[in-house]
Amino acid sequence: MAALLAAASIIDRITRFFSIIAAIMVLASCMISAGNALSRYVFDISSNAWLEIQWQMFAAIFLLGSAHVLKLNEHVRVDILYGGYSARTKLWVDVFGLIFFLAPGAILMIWFSVPWFETSYLEGEMSSNAGGLPVWPIKGLLPLGFILLLMQTVSELIKRIAALQGEITLDVDYEAPLQ
Amino acid sequence: MLEYGLLAPTMFAGLIAFMLIGFPVTFSLAALGLFFGFIAIEIGYFDFIFLQALPARVFGIMSNELLLAIPFFTFMGVVLEKSGLAEDLLEGIGQAFGGVPGGLAYAVIFVGAILGAITGTVAASVIAMGMISLPIMLKYGYDMKIGTGVVAAAGTITQVIPPSLVLIVLAFQLGVPVGQMYLGAIGPSFLQLALFTLFILGVSIFQPHRVPALPPEARTLHGAALWIMIAKGMIPSLVLIFLVLGTIFLGLASPTEAGAMGAVGSLILAWTHRRSSWAMIWDAMDSTMRISTMVIFILIGSTVFSLVFQGVNGGKWIEHLLTGLPGGQIGFLIFVNIFIFFLAFFLDFFEIVFIVVPLLVPVAHALDINLVWFGVLLCVNMQTSFMHPPFGFALFYLRGIAPPEVKSRDIYLGSIPWIILQLILVAILIFWPESVTYWLGADAVLDDAAVTQTLDAIPMPELGLPTLDLN
Repeated sequence: MAALLAAASIIDRITRFFSIIAAIMVLASCMISAGNALSRYVFDISSNAWLEIQWQMFAAIFLLGSAHVLKLNEHVRVDILYGGYSARTKLWVDVFGLIFFLAPGAILMIWFSVPWFETSYLEGEMSSNAGGLPVWPIKGLLPLGFILLLMQTVSELIKRIAALQGEITLDVDYEAPLQ
Repeated sequence: MLEYGLLAPTMFAGLIAFMLIGFPVTFSLAALGLFFGFIAIEIGYFDFIFLQALPARVFGIMSNELLLAIPFFTFMGVVLEKSGLAEDLLEGIGQAFGGVPGGLAYAVIFVGAILGAITGTVAASVIAMGMISLPIMLKYGYDMKIGTGVVAAAGTITQVIPPSLVLIVLAFQLGVPVGQMYLGAIGPSFLQLALFTLFILGVSIFQPHRVPALPPEARTLHGAALWIMIAKGMIPSLVLIFLVLGTIFLGLASPTEAGAMGAVGSLILAWTHRRSSWAMIWDAMDSTMRISTMVIFILIGSTVFSLVFQGVNGGKWIEHLLTGLPGGQIGFLIFVNIFIFFLAFFLDFFEIVFIVVPLLVPVAHALDINLVWFGVLLCVNMQTSFMHPPFGFALFYLRGIAPPEVKSRDIYLGSIPWIILQLILVAILIFWPESVTYWLGADAVLDDAAVTQTLDAIPMPELGLPTLDLN
């Protein structure tokens, strides 16, 4: 179990690293969007590349952030029953959900999106807008995001099983995230 | 009821069952979609190829410029909450209104409206206003049921007043321009403010001890000093309102860009108030990343669900059920609003907008309901999801920041009159659609009339001529 927990902690650090990139994209896309709107009206300058980089960064925010949000237990739940469960029951609900809900979904998404990305990559797919950016790198983020999510699923599963065996204590208090 | 097969109704029941388990909504929705997807393939509703549309569907979310407004407005809200603007506004306006019974409550409503016109998220308003006004109200003997209620309700107005994030997301789901949704929300915003103000006026007349005036020693600012204090709050507010709302209405910026400019404006404001630090900005970036991810993932999960639900004729089934309701348009609207009011006890507005609204849009189309009116109506109704005890978000934020003397019971009981006021507004909008459509501008009205005229004019001669020939 100790080795598994060590692996879980490595996964946590990897997904945190990607979520930091995602958080940086928040400020970067915001500055680019505001700057782009200003330059369009003040200097009459705008380009499709600057417009496209914004949504590409937006996609990076949630695809790279999702695994870390799972670790923080901040994906929103309907807690009308869940809120009243004991800590042990909550752990069992999560073990069940991670295995039967999240893992199959993530695996299927990876399975669908890898060939989808591959086609785009082999074509060297570019944006259809004049002066636009390549599209294939951002399509690669879709499988990457779900691979990170699947890794985090494994990590969360390890931690919850360890908690059920009494090897670690895990904070399972759930508070609906602020919005 | 079962003309469209058994699978869609079963799937709908499964939706409730899967979500009640308590595993995160997005993954439960996706799992439900895939589970029924494989059953549907077995039965022969569609081929496996059908599910391979998923990456392209998700890519549609990734590349949607409008959804980019979600991180921008969230970021703006988080920064604005810490920028000190709400403090400045409340201090000046609170002192100006404080001398009359209920004055602090009016000030909270007024400041809530200004903050609502600047930002698009509820948390920022409620937290900032509650932290400042609740201790003062407590000190000078306000009934805390009124105090917490007015803060929660005034903060929740943000959801209806443009540039509300809810209106953006609803516009995305309904397929109408965001600008139209904003115009449509103007009338209801003012109606709501009027209802809230009248309520406080009523309390101050019939039960003045619950909303006492501030004693003179609490009103330290007078004359020029008071005006300077008010200006200190109002001038940056007006600049921000112009940056965000002004640029949208003048057509200078898309709603997304306006959100970005508002965020940059809030950063500058926090900097001039010496409230900004790298730690604060990083904190705002990190929490914006988490909130946006959580929200967009609900949309991804719902996409999986609705792809399969449509594949098993779920859309047709819902349309069949709801177009058959007695009372036509009004019957449908009343049913939908009651339904959403109860859903709002369990689900927050993002879940309702992403999961439930797509099911209702085709029905609204079929019944020839103006979608802007429909969207604004849902938006007002979903305000109650912030106010429902005990899970409403606005109450939840208040619980977090209220002084320890304030009882949870007061917060819960205090929200009830305001929920009733919000429901009164829903009823007004249903029976008086012009309160929304009046603001949509002559263009939209003319267009509708022109379309009707053309439709009326075209078929007549075509139908008329052959009969003449036959004679």
